Amino acid sequence: MELNKKTLIGTVGYHILGNHSMPPMMYLHLNEMSWPDHVKVDELNWGPVAVVQMMEAESPPFEKVIILCAIERKGRKIGQIDVFRWLGKLPDEEQIQACVGDAATGVISVENLLVIGEYFKIWKDEVYLVDVEPGPEVAGEKWTESMESSIPDVISTIKRLALTGMDDGIDIKYLQGDTLFTNKIVTD
Amino acid sequence: MCFKNLPIAFDEQGNAYLKEDIANPYEYKVVDLGQEQDKLHSLMEKNGYIKNVDYDPVTRVAGALAFHSVVDLKEKKVLSTNSMATLFRGYEIILKGRDPRDAAYISSRACGVCGGVHATTSALAIEMALGIKPPPLGIVMRNILLAIEYLYDHPLHLFLLAGPDYSEELVAATNPELISKAASAKCKNKNVHGYDTILDIMKDLNPLKGKLYLEALSMTRVAREAYVQIGGKYPHPQSVVPGGISVTVTMTTLNEVYTRLIKFFDYGQKTTGIWDDVFDFFYEQDERYQQCGVRPATMADTGVWDRPDFYDASFENCDKWGEARWSTPGILVDGEVVTTKLSELNAGLEEFVEHSYYEKWQDHKFLTDDKGLPLSPNHPWNKDTIPKPGKQSWRDRYSWDTCPTWDRLPMEAGAYSRMYLTAKAQKAPASKYLENTGHSMIIHVPKYNLPAADLEWKIPTHWNAFERNRARAYCIPYSAMVALENWEIAQQLIRNGETAVSTPFEIPQKGLYKGFGAWGAGRGFLTHHLIVENGLIQNYQILTPSTFNAAPRTPWGAPGPYEEAVMNTPILEKFDTPENYKGIDILRAIRSFDPCMPCTTHIMAKDTNHVVTREVTTCACGIE
Repeated sequence: MELNKKTLIGTVGYHILGNHSMPPMMYLHLNEMSWPDHVKVDELNWGPVAVVQMMEAESPPFEKVIILCAIERKGRKIGQIDVFRWLGKLPDEEQIQACVGDAATGVISVENLLVIGEYFKIWKDEVYLVDVEPGPEVAGEKWTESMESSIPDVISTIKRLALTGMDDGIDIKYLQGDTLFTNKIVTD
Repeated sequence: MCFKNLPIAFDEQGNAYLKEDIANPYEYKVVDLGQEQDKLHSLMEKNGYIKNVDYDPVTRVAGALAFHSVVDLKEKKVLSTNSMATLFRGYEIILKGRDPRDAAYISSRACGVCGGVHATTSALAIEMALGIKPPPLGIVMRNILLAIEYLYDHPLHLFLLAGPDYSEELVAATNPELISKAASAKCKNKNVHGYDTILDIMKDLNPLKGKLYLEALSMTRVAREAYVQIGGKYPHPQSVVPGGISVTVTMTTLNEVYTRLIKFFDYGQKTTGIWDDVFDFFYEQDERYQQCGVRPATMADTGVWDRPDFYDASFENCDKWGEARWSTPGILVDGEVVTTKLSELNAGLEEFVEHSYYEKWQDHKFLTDDKGLPLSPNHPWNKDTIPKPGKQSWRDRYSWDTCPTWDRLPMEAGAYSRMYLTAKAQKAPASKYLENTGHSMIIHVPKYNLPAADLEWKIPTHWNAFERNRARAYCIPYSAMVALENWEIAQQLIRNGETAVSTPFEIPQKGLYKGFGAWGAGRGFLTHHLIVENGLIQNYQILTPSTFNAAPRTPWGAPGPYEEAVMNTPILEKFDTPENYKGIDILRAIRSFDPCMPCTTHIMAKDTNHVVTREVTTCACGIE
């Protein structure tokens, strides 16, 4: 297990949407935390195409990327944390085109980021999503109590992924591009 | 006399008045769309070749657009069309009751591409309402910022969204007979773009892999890099404020912008050369392509890029500073310029909701504007946004888009409208890089890697899908040259020590103030109409280019621009069975407008009055 990999912790999500906005709101907090030199924190809301261009220009590239997101998924309780590892693979070309079109016209979406990043081969070794269940979408700046109480675990999960090995006691699920838009989660 | 349908006349001194002796001057006929539907159903029952062809969603456009058409696949004709905006936006509701200073930041989120123009249009509305005149450098830097925003937007449209419709992959799938012809068709503009045959270009237009597709992606980065020097960030700039901009501008800023801007000199030449070659090829193969997406050149544009020596933000002088813009505001009806006055453009606007999911409002608060021009109860200053979700019906209501008109005419909007009006009207002051001849615009592009060139965009005979895209290509060098001319002015201002970029102002806590911002988006016409009452926003109405273009029928039954353009489109695609029909001609017609539904449409949470902001910029939601 190789430690000290060059690592990017990124946040993705819209603002002012209650629990759904936890990732962009957590960006400031994560950025202010003390991290070793090989770990960088950035907001990745500024468009998958731009993120691709930034990653392509990054030398040496990030070997590990940890994305904090909050995607509503069936069967989860608010605040439930799941860690997904991205396995790559691409959906069909029409879907990729749709992702690029959405990305270039302003959509903020983790799925688009993963697929476009995969297509342009920016993901090197390890890509993880730390995905926290936000529940139904509501407008506003506040989080629910369940979301609020999940934050210490969110931070510790990100820290463990960033600073230690990938399988260090974390239950990992898997995502891949060819099944991403049919909501299929690969369970290994 | 610019109004033919609204009851507005002018006396000998040019003062407008409401025509007398009309009992209800703004009355209009509401036709029953059900009769058309009954006729179509009867035809479909009798003729197996007449099919419903639905595109839901229309892909490779920004946002949620659906399109319904009835097509006779034997006669290869479109019989009926309906354009549907499938989401509700609600910015008008979000902004009510807020401090006017919030408007630029919030309304900017109406789009994930043209946030800067929404912010600027909002700032202009506040400047007019409250009498705030920005300093020259603030005006000039705003011009540069927005020209650069277009330089992001135009390649995106030409190569990522509309471009694939002309790629080898799509042409081979829909009109394979053109591929062998393209292989032997030599390019006229090889000297600027380097391609030998049309097929070579088509291959590089292939989505995801083609060099032109990938180059466009990289050019969007160049534009963004220039943009953030002034805007701070893209797509929602932090520095656009009423009264100018809030960022210090130095020679370094200008140099950083210039090193990116010059890359568009060659790119403009290359792009216009490519699309001239491709579209001329299509016409040469089949002249019926001239009818793809054709409709009269009946268009509205607000004009953009203010002259610092003219713009004073006032409504009183808006006709003068409007006509002094680098692009001329106005109205074209069937290719003829009807007005170039912003006040007349404003007074002729109305919005109708008979076929949209809104309730009709009752008030007619403003009978005239401050110049005495009569205003309809359907004018944006009088409008109230009252969403009323309901069942979709071609006979009744089928869109979240409203139906805006000017002088009761459906209007088309686009970046190309700004070029058309400016070239035709010949009102824009003399420019070092632009020449308006009345039938064309000549763009003097300086040398970069390619030699200097004079590019000429000519007003076309037929206003169709190909010409919309061709003009859009010419908008790249047009925007780049406006940016360059403003860059030179900015340099001079800084040398002269005129470094102020904004004018301070206070929000008056008492009284009623109204204004409108008029500034084109990448896709054309954009207005924000604002009423401030006792320090807060009392009404805010946004009219975007796609609000015009995607409009449903008028109450009196006239189709919206997408609907009309598709109705006029011949089916030239080759297919053996109805199941193989892909609808490329219809899609070319729709995509040529560069639909932007996040701006146009609206979203609210299901079964509630709760407005959700997220999907405003997501563009990827299903119909509720």
